[in-house]
Amino acid sequence: MSYDYLFKYIIIGDTGVGKSCLLLQFTDKRFQPVHDLTIGVEFGARMVTIDSRPIKLQIWDTAGQESFRSITRSYYRGAAGALLVYDITRRDTFNHLASWLEDARQHANPNMSIMLIGNKCDLSHRRAVSKEEGEQFAKENGLLFLEASARTAQNVEEAFIRTAAKILQNIQEGVFDVSNESSGIKVGYGRSQGQSGGRDGTVSARGGCCS
Amino acid sequence: MTIVKTNHQFLASGVVGLLVGNENSSNEDRYVERLLDRISNGKLPDDRRNAIAELQGVVLENEAFQLAFGAMGFPIMLSVLKEERDDVEMVRGALETLVSALTPINHAKGSSNEVQPALMNTDLLSREADCISLLLSLLEEDDFYVRYYTLQILTALLTNSPQRLQEAILTIPRGITRLMDMLMDREVIRNEALLLLTHLTREAEEIQKIVVFEGAFEKIFSIIREEGNSDGGVVVQDCLELLNNLLRSNASNQVLLRETVGLDSLVLILKLRGSSFTFNQQKTINLLSALETIKLLLKGGSESDPGKDMNKQANKTTLVQKKVLEHLLILGVESQWVPVAIRCAAMQCIGDLIVGDSKNRNLLAGKVLGEEPQVEPALNSILRILLRTSNMQEFIAADYILKSFCEKNADGQSMLASTLIPQPYSTNHAFLEEDVSMSFGSMLLQGLTLGENGDLEISCRAASVLSHILKDHLQCKEKVLQIDIEAAPMQSLGAPEPLMHRMVKYLAIASSMKSQVGKFSTSENSYVQAIILKLLITWLADCPSAVQCFLDARPHLTYLLELVSNLSETVCIRGFAAVVLGECVIYNKSTESGKDAFAIVDAISQKIGLSSYFLKFDEMQKSSIFVSVKSSLTYQSFTRSSTSSMVDIEDVDDNDLSEKKNLDHPILSSILDSNFVNLVKSLEADIREQIVEVFSRPKMKVAVVPAELEQRSGESDAEYIKRLKSFVEKQCSEIQDLVLRNATLAEDLAKTGSTLQPEQKGSGGSDRIQIETLRRDLQEASQRLEKLKEERAKVESEAIHYRNLAGKTEADLRSLSDAYNSLEQANLQLENEVKALKREGHSTFPDVEAIKSEAREEAQKESEAELNDLLVCLGQEQSKVDKLSARLLELGEDVDKLLEGIGDEAGAAGDEDDEDDE
Repeated sequence: MSYDYLFKYIIIGDTGVGKSCLLLQFTDKRFQPVHDLTIGVEFGARMVTIDSRPIKLQIWDTAGQESFRSITRSYYRGAAGALLVYDITRRDTFNHLASWLEDARQHANPNMSIMLIGNKCDLSHRRAVSKEEGEQFAKENGLLFLEASARTAQNVEEAFIRTAAKILQNIQEGVFDVSNESSGIKVGYGRSQGQSGGRDGTVSARGGCCS
Repeated sequence: MTIVKTNHQFLASGVVGLLVGNENSSNEDRYVERLLDRISNGKLPDDRRNAIAELQGVVLENEAFQLAFGAMGFPIMLSVLKEERDDVEMVRGALETLVSALTPINHAKGSSNEVQPALMNTDLLSREADCISLLLSLLEEDDFYVRYYTLQILTALLTNSPQRLQEAILTIPRGITRLMDMLMDREVIRNEALLLLTHLTREAEEIQKIVVFEGAFEKIFSIIREEGNSDGGVVVQDCLELLNNLLRSNASNQVLLRETVGLDSLVLILKLRGSSFTFNQQKTINLLSALETIKLLLKGGSESDPGKDMNKQANKTTLVQKKVLEHLLILGVESQWVPVAIRCAAMQCIGDLIVGDSKNRNLLAGKVLGEEPQVEPALNSILRILLRTSNMQEFIAADYILKSFCEKNADGQSMLASTLIPQPYSTNHAFLEEDVSMSFGSMLLQGLTLGENGDLEISCRAASVLSHILKDHLQCKEKVLQIDIEAAPMQSLGAPEPLMHRMVKYLAIASSMKSQVGKFSTSENSYVQAIILKLLITWLADCPSAVQCFLDARPHLTYLLELVSNLSETVCIRGFAAVVLGECVIYNKSTESGKDAFAIVDAISQKIGLSSYFLKFDEMQKSSIFVSVKSSLTYQSFTRSSTSSMVDIEDVDDNDLSEKKNLDHPILSSILDSNFVNLVKSLEADIREQIVEVFSRPKMKVAVVPAELEQRSGESDAEYIKRLKSFVEKQCSEIQDLVLRNATLAEDLAKTGSTLQPEQKGSGGSDRIQIETLRRDLQEASQRLEKLKEERAKVESEAIHYRNLAGKTEADLRSLSDAYNSLEQANLQLENEVKALKREGHSTFPDVEAIKSEAREEAQKESEAELNDLLVCLGQEQSKVDKLSARLLELGEDVDKLLEGIGDEAGAAGDEDDEDDE
C-alpha cells in the first residue's frame, strides 16, 4: 500500500470512445465488449512503478455525455493528469477535442499533464482519423500522444505510465507544488520521506515555502 | 426554473398582502422598506452601513420584520454582496442580515400551523438566481466573518431545500472544491463546513464522489485524530456522519477508502483507550457512529449496485486483517462497562462480519475471551449474554450473531449440536453462573428447560438459538430428537420426555398463561409462542422423524388444531400453527392409521375446515410482521438528532409497546428474518399442493392396474373370483372414505359460501382462489368416484358372467351324475344277470364263478376310477359354488332363489357322495 506519490487522473472525451474500457483494461486487465454507459463518474486505482518508485494512480473515469459535463468539470482541478480520448473510427470525436481541451484549460490546474489517446486502433480498417492528424493535434497543443486499443491492450499500459512519468518529471523539475492538494499529487507517507528525501529535497522545500 | 420564479412572485405578493391586512405589520413593512431604500439608494457609505446594521437588529429579533424583509429584501442584499465586494464591513453586515432572516426565532408557542418566516425566507432566497454561486464565491474572501456567515447561510439553505442546493452546487465548477477547502480553515469555519458538507452529501451520489475526489477521507480522519478519536467532542461525530454519508450507498467511494486511505484509522476509533471506563453520551455517540461506518462497509453499498457483493467481501477481508473482530468483541461481548446501545451495535457488526463467510465464522469460533483461568469461547459468552440479558435489543443482537454463525454452516451446526448433552438435574440450580467450564450445549439445554421453573422467556430465547442449530440440518434435527429431558424431581411421576415434547408443553403453557391473565400480556407471550413455533417449523421441515416424534403424543395434534382456530391468538401465531400442521402432512411418512398424512388432512378438514385453514395463511401473509420483513431494507441514518435517541435504547422496549396489545410483538420482526419468511412461504405452497394431492389422489388401498383385473394364467377361477372379491371390498370401503371426505368438503364449501358473502369485498381474491382449489378438489374427487363406480359396474358384470359359468358347471355336474346313475343301474343289471346266470349254470360252467368275479372286479375298478374323478370334480365345484353364493349374497343377490333349481340336484349329488363313502 505504501507509495512515494499518489497521482490523480481523469479520463475525458466524447461518449462511446472507450474511456471506461481503457480504465478497465488498465486496472483489471480485461476487455468488456459491451459496457454500460457511465453515469457521472467512476473510480479505479492501480499501483505502477516508474524509475523504481512505487506510484499509486487514482483514476476517475467520467461520463462523456453532454448532460454530465457540469459534474465532470468538478474533477478537473484536482487532477494531475488527464487522458483525453477520441475514437479513430469516428471523425466527430476527433473534431470535438478542441472543446474538451478548452474545458480542461479553463477548469484544470495549468500544470496538468494531458495524454491524447486515439483509441480503437485495432479497427484500422474503419479508420477515419489518421495517426498523423492525431500527432499534429497533440504537438500543436503540447499533449502527449499515443494510439491505443482497449480491446487488444495495445499501448494502454504505456498511456497511463507515460503520463505518470511526465508528471514525475514535472515534480522533479519543480513545476508542481506537491503540498497543495489541488495539484492532484500527494506525497506518500512513511517510506517516501526517508528513502527519497534526497531527490525530493528541492520539491519539498519549495512546497514548504508556498503554503 | 420558470416555475420557481412565478412561485416566488406568488409567495412574495402573498406575504405582502398578508402584511397589508394587519396594521402593525404594515408599519413594520414600511419601516423595512425605508431601511432598504436607504441601503440601495443611499449616497453615504456610512449611512448605508448604519441602515444595514439597523435592519439586521430588527430582523434578528422579530418575526414580523423577518417576514417583511423576506418579501422585499433579498434582491437588494444580493446586489450589495455583488457590488460592494470591497467594503468588507458592508458585506459582513449584509451577510449577517441574511443569517438573521434565515434563523428561526424561538418562541414558546410552538404551534406548527403558523407561517415560519425563517423557513419561508430560506425558500425565497434559494430561488434567487445565481444566489448560490455568489455565496460560494464569497468563501474565497479573506475576512473570517464573511466566510463564516456565508457558510451559515449555505447551511440554512441546505437544511430547508437540500435538493435545490445540491443541484445548484453541482452546476458550479469547483463549487465543492471551495467548500472542501473550508475543511482546512480555522476551527470554527472547519466545523461549520463539516455540517454543510454533511447536509450536502446526503443522498447525492455525485456530490459524494466529488467530495471524496477532493480528498475528504484524508481530511476527515485527520480531524478525527486531532480531536482524540472516540474521546473527541461533537466534531468527531460530525466527521463520522459525513464519512457515513460518503460511504452509505456508494460502493465506489468504499473502494477508494479501502484502496487509498485504508481502514486502519477507522478501526483505531473503535479501540478503547487505557482505563477509560467512563462513557459519556458523546463518546457513546461517537462509537455508535463508527460502528455504523463498519456496518456500511459490511453492507458493501446500495442494494442495486452490481459490484456490491465483491466490494463487501473485500471490505470484510480488509477489516478482519485490521483486527476489527477483536475490537468488536471487546465492545460487544467482553467489556462490562460499555453502554448497551454500543454492545448491540457491535454485536450486529459481528453478525454482519460472519454471515455467509466461512473464514470469519471459523475465526469467531476459535476466539476465546477472558483471562486465564477464566477463559471461555466467545460463542459461549455470546450465548450467556443472549440468555441472561434483561434487554430485548441485546438479545436480538446476540441472536443475530448465532444465527449468522449457523446459517449455511453445517459443520458449525454439528459442532454446537454435539455439545447438547443433558446434565443431571441437580446442576440446574446454579444456572448461568459464571461457570466458564460449561459447554455451549449444556448452557443451551439448561436454558431450554428453564421453562420448568416458569421462566418461559429464557426457554424461548434458547429455542430461538436451537432453531438456528437445526435449520436445514437433518443430522442435527435427528440428534436433538434423541434428547430426553428428565422430569423435575418434584414431579416424580414424569418419565423422561423428548425435548421436543417439552417445547410443545411450553408453547401450551405460554398460551394458557395468556388466557389467564387476559389481554394485557399478549405481546409478551405472543413472541414466546411465535419463537417456539418457529423452532417447531424449522425442526419439522424436511424431517419425517421429527413429525413422527411430534405426533407421538396424541394431544399435540389436538392442541395444534385448537391453536389454529383460537381467535384470541394473533394472526401470526395461528398462521405458524397452521404451518406446523401442514408440515405434519407434507413430511409425514407414517403409515400408522390415525397418524398418517391422510388422518391429519381429515382432522384439519373436519376440525377447522379446509378453506378456513388456508385462510390462516393468507391472514398471516398480510400481517404487519410479514409486510415489515419485506420492507425492512430501508435505511436509518445517523443524524445528530437521531443518535441521541439511539443512545437511550434501554428504554425503547418497554415504553410504547404496551399500547399495542393486539399486535404482534415488535421483536418478532427481528427474529422472523426474511429467510424464515421465505421458508414459511415455500412451505405454504407445498402444503396447499400436498393437501390438494391428498384429496385428488387418495391413498390407494388397492392399486388399480387394469391387467390385474384379468384372470392370471394358471389362476383358477375360484382364486380369481376371490381376488376380485377382496378387490371390490377394498374399493367399497375406499368409496366410503371418499364419500365421507367429499361430504366434509361439500359442507365446508357450503359454509364458506355462506360466510363469504359479507367478507367478499375485502378478501375476494384469495378466497376465490381457494374456492377454485376446493372446487377442483371436489371435481377431482367426484371424477374419482365416477371412475370407481364404473369399475364396480364392470366387476359386477364380471360376477354375473362367472355366475353363468357356475350354472354351466352345475349342469355339467348334473349330466355327470346322470351318467353315474345309469352306470350304477347297468352295474346292477349286470349283477342280476350274473346272479341269474350263476343260478342257471352252476354246474355247467364251473368257471363261471371265476369269470363273474373277474368281470365284477373289472367293472368295480372301472366305476371306482370314474367315481374318484367325479368326487374331485364335485369337491371343486362345491367350493366354487359356496364361494360364489357367498359373494353373490354380498352383492345383494338372493342366492337361495338363484339356486332353487339346482339346489336339489346338488343335494342329490351330496347324498351320492355319502353313499360312496361307505
